[in-house]
Amino acid sequence: MRVPFYRDPAWRLELRRGVRTALPAAPGVIAWGLVTGVAMVKSGLAVHWAIVISLLVYAGSAQLATLPLIAAAQPFWIVSLAAFVTNLRFVIYSASLRRWFEAYSHRRLAVLGYFTGDFTFAMFMDRVRREGEFAHRDAWFLGACGFNWVVWQVTSIVGILAATAIPSEWGLQFAGTLALLALAIPLCLEWPGLAGAAVAAPIAVLARGLPFGLGLFAGIVAGIAAAVTVDAMIARRNETVAREGDELS
Amino acid sequence: MLLVTVGMVLATFMTRAGLLLVGERFKLSPRVEAALRFAPVCALAVLVVPEIVVQAGTVNLSLANPRLAGALAATAFFLWKRSMVGCIVVGTLVVAAFRFL
Repeated sequence: MRVPFYRDPAWRLELRRGVRTALPAAPGVIAWGLVTGVAMVKSGLAVHWAIVISLLVYAGSAQLATLPLIAAAQPFWIVSLAAFVTNLRFVIYSASLRRWFEAYSHRRLAVLGYFTGDFTFAMFMDRVRREGEFAHRDAWFLGACGFNWVVWQVTSIVGILAATAIPSEWGLQFAGTLALLALAIPLCLEWPGLAGAAVAAPIAVLARGLPFGLGLFAGIVAGIAAAVTVDAMIARRNETVAREGDELS
Repeated sequence: MLLVTVGMVLATFMTRAGLLLVGERFKLSPRVEAALRFAPVCALAVLVVPEIVVQAGTVNLSLANPRLAGALAATAFFLWKRSMVGCIVVGTLVVAAFRFL
């Protein structure tokens, strides 16, 4: 008889490791979940719809970005398009994830895709950068993402139910921003990453008035271009240095 | 509201799982793959920085902006201790301090 993959002790070990990796991000997720839950109800969504959207859509930034459109009774396709564009960064994420997940079945890919989040994506890419194609990476990813999902859903639903009692002045959303900041800083300690962030951020700030999060997308594209340029410059300089070294020896 | 929910579910699912599912039909060039390495830091930057420097709709780059002061303190603390929770606590405390001073 074939043993199901989730009974494999090695698979389970990676699942637990994934959970442990996601643990430090929990305070930020808790804060963001609470704030998103509160904001959904405060902007006029019925409690039951807020819970359904939280469970099925599971995309904090897209949920927050579409709230004004839903409140203004925009047609569903405009709201959906706004959610799509706000979430476009995940197309970039999944393109990076794909080569590591190529071996898996479509059903597992659909599950892994649904669970992908900003935190867990960054953590996963960090681990494959260090260790390459490690075994049971689907379990690790699912552990990290599943833990995030549970924390997010519980706090988001608490936020939805407690919406009237929590004052916005607590500034809970800023804790989520700070958690993302802590993820970004290590990536900025290399020149290409720093160049990318330095170009992307001002564009996003200046183009924030554009509808549907297009400013965010423009910033990401320009930032990547800057990072790649700097990366190529460094590679070329290293080549020259190596060649000159050869000539001298 | 049902249509809105279904539309949002499809839109967010497509961005996250679409490329994973139909991936075999597209092959990304090495240049595109290289570009994607730097996608995370750029995405984080565009999500985080406007939250910090935009105050009530306008850009405020002075230290009197509580969030900017909080983010700088949090960054300094993170570079020192490498602790995400510490970074969040320090940043939140600095912002809270502005409210009481």
